[in-house]
This record gives sequence, C-alpha cells and structure tokens, in this order.
Amino acid sequence: MKFRTIAVLITAALVCAAGASASSSSAKAGVTVYAAASLTDVFPAIDKSNTYSFAGSNALATQITNGAPADVFASANTTLPAQLFAQGVVEKPVVFTRNTLVIVVPKSNPAEIKSIYDLTKPGVKIDVANSAVPVGSYTLQVLGQMGLASQVTPNFVSQETDVRTVLSKVQLGQADAGFVYATDARAVPDGVTVIRVPAWAQPKIAYSMAIVAKSQNKAAAQAFIDEVLSKSGQATMLKYGFLPITAPVPAITKLSLSKGKPGVSVSVTGANLTGTTSVTFQGVPAKFKIVSATKLVITVPTKAKTGAITVTTPAGTATSAKAFVVLKR
Amino acid sequence: MDAPGRASLPFERKVPTHFLSRSDLFSRGAKGGAALLLAGAALGRFAEDAAADPLPAADLAYARLLVAVELLGSDFYRQAVAASNAKPAVAKYLKKAYANEQEHYQSVAGILSGAGVTPAVSADIDFSYPSGTFGSEGSILKTARQLESIMLGAYLGAVGGMQTASLKQGLAQIAASEAQHLSYASSVSGGKAFSLAFPPALSIDQASTALDAFTS
Repeated sequence: MKFRTIAVLITAALVCAAGASASSSSAKAGVTVYAAASLTDVFPAIDKSNTYSFAGSNALATQITNGAPADVFASANTTLPAQLFAQGVVEKPVVFTRNTLVIVVPKSNPAEIKSIYDLTKPGVKIDVANSAVPVGSYTLQVLGQMGLASQVTPNFVSQETDVRTVLSKVQLGQADAGFVYATDARAVPDGVTVIRVPAWAQPKIAYSMAIVAKSQNKAAAQAFIDEVLSKSGQATMLKYGFLPITAPVPAITKLSLSKGKPGVSVSVTGANLTGTTSVTFQGVPAKFKIVSATKLVITVPTKAKTGAITVTTPAGTATSAKAFVVLKR
Repeated sequence: MDAPGRASLPFERKVPTHFLSRSDLFSRGAKGGAALLLAGAALGRFAEDAAADPLPAADLAYARLLVAVELLGSDFYRQAVAASNAKPAVAKYLKKAYANEQEHYQSVAGILSGAGVTPAVSADIDFSYPSGTFGSEGSILKTARQLESIMLGAYLGAVGGMQTASLKQGLAQIAASEAQHLSYASSVSGGKAFSLAFPPALSIDQASTALDAFTS
C-alpha cells in the first residue's frame, strides 16, 4: 500500500513536471493506467478500481520510457504505442476505439465562426494542442488535407500539452476556436458550440493500448485491456461518443438455393448487408436487391461460375460457406 | 479499389517555377508535353500558362476540395459499374462517366502536385452511400443526380472563387462535363434533361458540407 501511494505521488510529480494536466484517483485494487487525456471520463466509467493518470499521450510515453510505474499505456493514436513496442517498452498494442475531430467555439462565439473555412479570417484566435500531442498532429492533418494550413496556422495563439486544456481555454473564452475530439466536446455540452470538421477531411483517428513491459501486474493489466475490448467496455466507449473499432462486417449465413440456372433469383440471408456494393459469383458481378440488413435477393448472372458467392460492403467482404452450383440453361 | 494516380494533365502547366529545381523543371517539361498531347485529345486545352507566381492559398484550398469531389465521383461510378445493375445503355453511361471523373481527378490533382503538395488518394477518404444505392438502376441514377448536382455546383463555385485566372477555363470545362452527366442521369430516370438557365454555384463551404452526405 505504501508502495502504491509512492507510485501515485511519483506519477503526479512526473506528469506535473512534464507540464501536462493530470489527475489521479487512489485505487482499491487494479492497475495503474497511463491514458490519453481524452479518455478522462470514459475509463473510470469502465473500471473505477484502477489508478489513472491522464495527460497528453506523448508526455505519458516519455514518462513510461523513463521508467514511470505504469501497467497499461492507452494512447490517442497508434504511432506512440507502436514506437514503444519497437523499443521493447510495451508489449504488442491493440486498437480499442476510434474518434473524430471537431472544432469548438465559445457559446458566445465572438468571432462568428460557422465553418472551418471561417478560421482563415485574420484575427481569429485559435487554440490547438502542440503537434507532438496526437490531437495536435490530427489538427495539422485536417488543415493540410483541406489546403488551409497556411491560412489558419498564423491564427494559432497557443499550443497546449493536451486536448482538455484546449477545451477548457475555449470554454473560458480565452480563444475563439479550438480543435478537440468529438468526445471531449460532449463533456461540456453547455460550455461550447461544436462545429463539424468535414468528414472528407477527417484523419483516421484510432486509439491503441498496451501492457507496459516492466509492469509487475501483467495479468491484471491484461484483464483491464480485455475489459475495455469486451462487449460492455465497448458499449461504454460508444456511450461516451467514441466510435467502434471497426464498422460491422457483412456475413452470409444461408442461401435459399444451393444450385440454379442463370437468371434464377437466390435469397441471401446474413448480417450487416445494408450497404452492399457488389455481389459476385466467382468474380462475375450479379444484379442484387437489398431487402434488409439481413437479406439480399440476387440474380444468378449469365456467365456465373460454380463456387462461393461473395458480398462486399464498405466494411468488408463475406463469402458463402458452401459453393453455389450453376446449372446449364 | 483503383486509386487514381497522381500524374497531372493540363493544370500541371501552371507550375510555379520557383518551387522546382532545374532538373525538376526539365523533367516536368517533358512530362508536360506528353500530358498536353493527351489533354488535347481528351479534354481540350484548358488555359494559357499561368504566371510564375505560386498559387494563392485560397486556390489550394479549392483544389483540395475538388480533389475530394473527384475521388467521390470516381468511387461512386466505380461501384455503380461493379454493381452491374443497369441496362446496357445506362451501364455504358456509367462506364464513360467513371472514365470522365478519373480524368477530372488527374487534372485537379495536378494543381496540387504542380504546387509541390501531395493530392489525396482514394484511401484517404472513407465514402458512404445511402442504403441500397447500388441495388437498382433507379437508385444508382437517383444518387448520380444528387452527386452530379454537387459536383456541378462545386465547379461553378470554383470558377468564380478561384483567383488564378488561367485555371478558370479548365474548371469551366469540367463543369460542362458534370452538367452533361447530370442531364443524362436526370433524363434517363424520367426527369427533365435541363431546366435552369443559371444552375446554382456552391461556395467552398457549401460544397464541402454537401460532400459530407457521402463521406463517413
């Protein structure tokens, strides 16, 4: 117990020394989790028995590399855990959620910002996280993707060490706008107004986590990772506005016919079929009609070949377990 | 998915020379000549060479948006062709429109690569479409009308909004191409081939917002 108290104190001291905002809670049991500031609300909701230190992912990575007593590292990107894994500092990371970027403005919106293009106006005061922090890096990616970097970066008035500081400064009116994660903006629904970042310019924001190699509590650390990845853990992530790890992939469970001639209609039963973009018989495209998320009606194409039927959606591909036998006309 | 390449066509002739080394300039000159031949055959000559000044920042933002527009157009028609749910005449249109959008992509991506920045490719953007979009010829054409309206509006807006005069003719040519697509998709699905004397232009902000309906 004395060791844990010391560990918490050391953790707090290291985080403060790095200039990052951090918070810790004493634990009855559980593991010490170093997590991105954007996870401040959701992780304790998943498991309140752990000791958490929340800060910018880059600051936490530095502390862990320097020997801070963490059991789990959860980062707002996949790059930092991958780098630590390559250095042997953490074990193999796993992706556990995704997020999106938004712009927040004060409720009073003194700069009258209505879209991301308004951030190019001279004199707009924009607060961002610095580029070493994942959210700061994502911000620059968005501006680059939209060709706005050269017009918007001159309006940066401050660069913070974590996303929550950006949110706080905008909420207090110390900046006209800031870039944060959608989940952070949800944390203060009455404090800021959210402006969408266009989906076509969104970076692919994935979070990953890993057990710290020097952890003395690896079994419990793995249990926490499993808890986050579990159905209930993921449900909690969704409740707090995070996105599922991946979109639901399609599946085929049954074909109404096992054989038939070209021109015959076949019902395909399965799951997540709503967004079907193509159906093929061994590479030969077939006409199809989407009846529901669980049912398609397809027409055996003229040049169909005997074999498995493949359904493709934006989330992936499903192949029938059994071959469909194409009969001659 | 076919990722449209990054070779550029007519717009590449407007490369601001001070971004390039001498060897780059010679290299681009050779490629530019070949590109111009292609452009002459396929698209026509867009505009006079631009001045040696770099493109204004606002024009780069527009070019970024138009690249996204063309990636969406290419992705939509690629999937529509793959779905194979259209009658032969409509399928022929879908294939031709797909080819047109790919050529447009090459051109607007050339504005960016000519300015020394990397244009987005299909893997950079996740597109999504309403449920059942590719399930029938009717739903494909309905979405084509929506998309082509956005694309036409975006290019008309770009003609007015972009500051580099030498780009405007090429943009207008692409707008005309999108208008042809819109007219065909409307008429073949039972609507009017044309109606407005002055189709509306979309601001950069409006066009960006409209794209959001097809991206996730």
